[in-house]
Amino acid sequence: MGATLLGLETEYGLEVEGAGPEEQAGHSRALVESHQGPCHVGWDYRHESPRRDLRGFTLAQLAHDVRDALFDRPSRDVPRDSDRADRVLANGARFYNDHGHPEYSTPECRSPAEAARLDGVGDWTVMRAAEAYATKLGRRVRVFKHNSDGHGASYGTHENYLAERRWGFARLYRAVLPVLVARPLLTGAGKPGSEAGPPCRFQCSQRADFLTEAANAETLANRPVFNTRDEPHADAARWIRLHVISGDANLSPSCTARKLALVRIAIRLLELGAAPDWEILEPGKAIASVSRTLDGSARLALASGAWTTPVEVLRSYTAAARERLDRAEPGDAELVAHAEQCDALLDVLPERPPEFARAVEWAAKLAMLEQYFDSGWDETAARSLDLAFCQLDTEEGLYPALAAAGLADPPAWLDAPSRLDELHEATRAVARSVAVRRFPQAVAATSWGRITLHTSTGARELELRPDACYGDAVRAATSPDELAAAIEDAP
Amino acid sequence: MNLEDDRRTIRPEPGPARRELEDPGPRRPDVDRPGPSDELLRRMRRVDPDQAKRYRQRSGQ
Repeated sequence: MGATLLGLETEYGLEVEGAGPEEQAGHSRALVESHQGPCHVGWDYRHESPRRDLRGFTLAQLAHDVRDALFDRPSRDVPRDSDRADRVLANGARFYNDHGHPEYSTPECRSPAEAARLDGVGDWTVMRAAEAYATKLGRRVRVFKHNSDGHGASYGTHENYLAERRWGFARLYRAVLPVLVARPLLTGAGKPGSEAGPPCRFQCSQRADFLTEAANAETLANRPVFNTRDEPHADAARWIRLHVISGDANLSPSCTARKLALVRIAIRLLELGAAPDWEILEPGKAIASVSRTLDGSARLALASGAWTTPVEVLRSYTAAARERLDRAEPGDAELVAHAEQCDALLDVLPERPPEFARAVEWAAKLAMLEQYFDSGWDETAARSLDLAFCQLDTEEGLYPALAAAGLADPPAWLDAPSRLDELHEATRAVARSVAVRRFPQAVAATSWGRITLHTSTGARELELRPDACYGDAVRAATSPDELAAAIEDAP
Repeated sequence: MNLEDDRRTIRPEPGPARRELEDPGPRRPDVDRPGPSDELLRRMRRVDPDQAKRYRQRSGQ
């Protein structure tokens, strides 16, 4: 249990006054370069393998969005390293430009609550960089935390979970996929209208419209419910990094933590041989149906010819978690607490009382819109209000005002300034953080799984192990040599 | 695909009537809700109702 890492990576929406999507990549790059504060510039790409598939093969190339690819033509003369504007931040996070979106990847965590907190630090980081860029540019720059532009362009919030290689694709798929299909009911960010598939007035998932396949390694087109990219950022003989691309970007930290906890519960139950056995047919259609059926009664067709509902799927996981997880173990105890909270929310899902809306982002958004429009729902205006809801701006955004009124969870970024560089767990992110904060001149290169430091004996490339404890000795290092030794000796 | 009731694995709790394929959209639950705050309403009224029409993004991952 202690070895398990998880994390989040979020691509933010970006609007620069007077600019269109054809200029977005340049603005996103410049926004990231406007980041203030200690950082290492660059990223070590040598160990990346986005085309490798968990099912044992490597794709010749990844699919791309044909319409979006047109925007890449003018910037082909920019080398990838410059185009990405990679920054490794003082807390061990990564901040960079990805396809025209500022992207923040949290430091590795073990606790869903800690990941949600660090996700808020990401929001704060993007907001500050946008402010700095707006000042430099002399134009208005707005950033949004959501997953589509309302016109068919989607961008992701990806989750990462380390799992042991021995579980392989088939068992992970069987254990985790039902949760991915059903969880938007309790974790979705919600949006008015539809961008693909059957029309609707409001749906609980922002991302469901863009998930057309059951399983594949793609992320830019033909997106799957279960992503099979095999890029562990660790010893590939021992580890899989489960790369989940089907979730929503949440402003509510409790939704972020619940989103992560439900997948961790599925993986823990797999490890215990206690994962519920649902074989859901056509997962893309199933998640679209879940997204549009807000009372949880969507019919999910099963391979057996029977059907079930997302509520029953979620109940099966929460019941197994309450029964099988070890409440005396801190990691499991956090998951059991989430299971209990999920059950309480499912109890009141059909009525959606205020306590449900306070805890579930899509319900808070829907309640706000329904009260505003009363009997005259206006979809165009609702989409504009949704955009304002997702805007990262304490003074103008709707979400912070909703939270201040006690109608939603306070945004995680409110706590960020005072705890910017804090890491509460002894993960490998601590090693990256100490190097960037204390010995920036000694950092030659870094990635998730490796760091190269200039030491008195020359450049040393060190493995950052996902199951090691980078604790007091790493934090106490007073020189690059001591840091290198502490990393190598980490228990 | 057969989705007949008698092949269902687990009976659901009694719930709302079955919806048609073309979902008419969410319905307001019959519960009392706290009203939005003055500040929230002020921000909502300041939103340009057409801003979403103009908002265009590049597709990402």
